[in-house]
Amino acid sequence: MKRSVLMLATALSLSLGALQAQAAVSPLDLVAPIAQYKVYVTKELDAFVAATKDFTDAVKAGDLAKAKTLYASARAHYERIEPIAELFSDLDGAIDSRADDHAKKEKDPTFTGYHRIEYGLFVTNSTDGLAPFADKLMADVNDLQARVKGLTFPPEKVVGGAAALLEEVAATKISGEEDRYSHTDLMDFQANIDGAQEVYTLFKPLLAKDAKNEAFLKKVDANFASVDAILVKYKTADGFESYDKLSKKDRKALAGPVNTLAEDLSKMRGLLGLK
Amino acid sequence: MDTAPKAASPAGGPHAPSRKAMRLAIAGSGLLLVIAFAAFYWATSLASRRKAAEAGDAVAVTVTDSACEPMDLTVPAGRTTFAITNRSNRAMEWEILDGVMVVEERENIAPGITQTIAARLAAGTYDITCGLLSNPRGKLHVTPAQADAEPAAPALLAFIGPLAEYQVQLLTHAGDFATATSALAQAVQADDLERARALYGEARLSYARLAPAADLFADLDTRLDARADDFGGREQDPLFKGLHRVEYGLFAQNTTAGLRAPAEALAADAGELNQRMATLQLQPDRMVSGAARLMRRAAGLEAMGGAEKYAHSDLADIQAEADAVLGIATLLRPLAQKASPGLPARIDADGAALTALLAAHRDGTGFSSFETVAADQRAAIAAALTTLGDDMDTLGAALGLTTSGRSVQ
Repeated sequence: MKRSVLMLATALSLSLGALQAQAAVSPLDLVAPIAQYKVYVTKELDAFVAATKDFTDAVKAGDLAKAKTLYASARAHYERIEPIAELFSDLDGAIDSRADDHAKKEKDPTFTGYHRIEYGLFVTNSTDGLAPFADKLMADVNDLQARVKGLTFPPEKVVGGAAALLEEVAATKISGEEDRYSHTDLMDFQANIDGAQEVYTLFKPLLAKDAKNEAFLKKVDANFASVDAILVKYKTADGFESYDKLSKKDRKALAGPVNTLAEDLSKMRGLLGLK
Repeated sequence: MDTAPKAASPAGGPHAPSRKAMRLAIAGSGLLLVIAFAAFYWATSLASRRKAAEAGDAVAVTVTDSACEPMDLTVPAGRTTFAITNRSNRAMEWEILDGVMVVEERENIAPGITQTIAARLAAGTYDITCGLLSNPRGKLHVTPAQADAEPAAPALLAFIGPLAEYQVQLLTHAGDFATATSALAQAVQADDLERARALYGEARLSYARLAPAADLFADLDTRLDARADDFGGREQDPLFKGLHRVEYGLFAQNTTAGLRAPAEALAADAGELNQRMATLQLQPDRMVSGAARLMRRAAGLEAMGGAEKYAHSDLADIQAEADAVLGIATLLRPLAQKASPGLPARIDADGAALTALLAAHRDGTGFSSFETVAADQRAAIAAALTTLGDDMDTLGAALGLTTSGRSVQ
C-alpha cells in the first residue's frame, strides 16, 4: 500500500509537471538580470577590444611568438559572450568563421578573422601576409563593440544563451575542430562554460524562488562543478594544456555533463516564462 | 497454540473493521492510481501530439552544397516550425536574418540530418542562410497574421528588453555622475577653479542624462538639484546644497573657497544615487511619465529665467535632457511603431525641431550663455519642450501604459 501511494504521488507529480511547465516569474523580474548581463557583456567586449589590439599589433609587428601566446586568451572574451556576439551574422562570419564555412576552405579569400590568423600563425608558422587580416579583424571587433552598445538585448536570447553555449561546446569543442591549428580548444571551452555560468547565475535567484526548481538547480550546479573539476586538471600557468593532450577517457567524461547541461539549461526559457 | 488466536484475529473479532478499511483503501488507491495514470497518459500524449503536429506542419527546407530548396518561402506571421535538412557534405548552421541580425538559428546540423527550429516571426521579409557563407541567400516572406492566429505574447514581456537597456543606460550615467562629482570634490580641494568649473559641467550633463528617472529618488533629487529659490534664505540658506550650491560658488563667487563641504556632500550623494540605481526596479509606465514630466519641468524653468542661474549653461542641459527623452522613445520605437505607426516619426520630427532651435545657439562644441537667448527664442524653445512632453504622454497612452494622454500628469 505504501508503494502504491508512492507511485500515485510520482504519477501525479509527473502529470502535473507535464501540464504546468510555466512557473510564476513576473516578467519585470527579468529586467535586472538582463541589465546586469549587458553590463557583463560590455566589460567582456572592452577587454576583447583591448586584447585584439595587442594581438593584432603583435601580428603586424611580425612577433610570431607573442601573437601565438595572445591568440587564445584574446578569443576567450568573444567565446564568453557568443550568444550576443553571434547575433550579428556578418561580423560573426568575419571574426569567427572556420575554414569549413568557405568554399575553398583555407585558401578562400573570404576566410578572415581569428581562425584565418590562427591558420597563419600555427600552420604556416609565420606572420607573413597576415597584416591585412589583422587590420580587418581590429576594425570588425571595433564595429562589434559599437553595435552591441546600441543593442537592446532580446530577453529570450540572453536566457537561451546559456544552453546555446553548451550546445556549441557539445557540437564543436569536444571534437577539437574549433581551434584545429592551435589546439587551444580548452581555453574556448572554459570561456563558453564561463559565459553559460554567468547567465545561469544571474537568473538562478529567480528560479530559486520557486521550490519546484530545487532539484533542477541542484543538478545544474553539480554538472557545472563536474565540468570545472575536469577542466581544472589541464590548467597551466598561462592557460590550458593543448587539447590533443586530453585522454580519451577525459573527453568522454566531459561529454556527459556537457550534454546534460545543454539539455537542462535549454529548459530555462520555459521556466522563466520566455517561450 | 498461544499464537493461533492472534494469527486468526484479522479474520474476525475486534479487528474485522480494519480489514474492511484495508480493502477499501487498496481499492481506492488502485482507483486513484488508474486515474493518475490516465492523467499522466493524457498529459504525455497531449505533449507528443503537440510535437507531432509541429513536426507535421513544419516548413521543409533542404540545403544543398550550393543553395536552399526552395529559395523562396512564405509563411504567416506568428510561430512557425522549420525542418531543415542538410544535403550538403559539411556540417552547417541555418539562420533567419533580419538585415544582418540573426532572428533565429540552428547550429551544427550534420550532413544528412534534419533538425527543426521554431521561430515566432513578425510580418516582413527575411533572409535565410544556405550553407557556405558565399552561397546565395534565400528569402522568407512573412505575411500579416490572420485574425484567428495565435495571440501576441503578453504585453508586459515586450517591455523587458527596453527596460533592461534603459537600466543599463541609467547605470552608466549614474556611474559617470559619481565619477565626475568625486573629481570635482578633488578639484575644489586643490583650489583648481578652472578644472572644477569644467567638472561641474560634466557632472551637470551626466545628471541631465538620467533626469527622466531622477524623481524616482525624490530625497536625493532634492539634495542634489534644489535651487536657491527653494530656500527661505536663498543662497545664504544653510540648507542650500548640491549642484547649484557648488555652481553658485564656482560661477557667481568665482572661487572654490567654502565649497569643500558642499562638494564632498555632493559626491557622497552621487555615490548613493549610483548604488540605489543598481537595485532600481523600474516600471514601464515610469519610462514615459518621467520623460514627459521632465520636459514640462524644463519648459517651466526656462520660462522662469533658467535653472543654471550662475553658470548659464541651460542650453547644454536642455539638449542633454531632450536627448535622454528621445533615447527613451528610441528604446520603445519597435513597440510604438506597431501600436501607433505614425508616432515615432512625429517624435523624431519634434525632437529635430527642438535640436534645430538649440543649434542656433551653438558655440564651438558647446552652447552660448543662456543670457544671450532672447525672450521670443526662449518661448520657442519652451514650446518645443512642451510638445515633446506631450509626445511622451501620447506614447504612454499608445502603449497602454497610461489611460489617456494629457490627463495623466
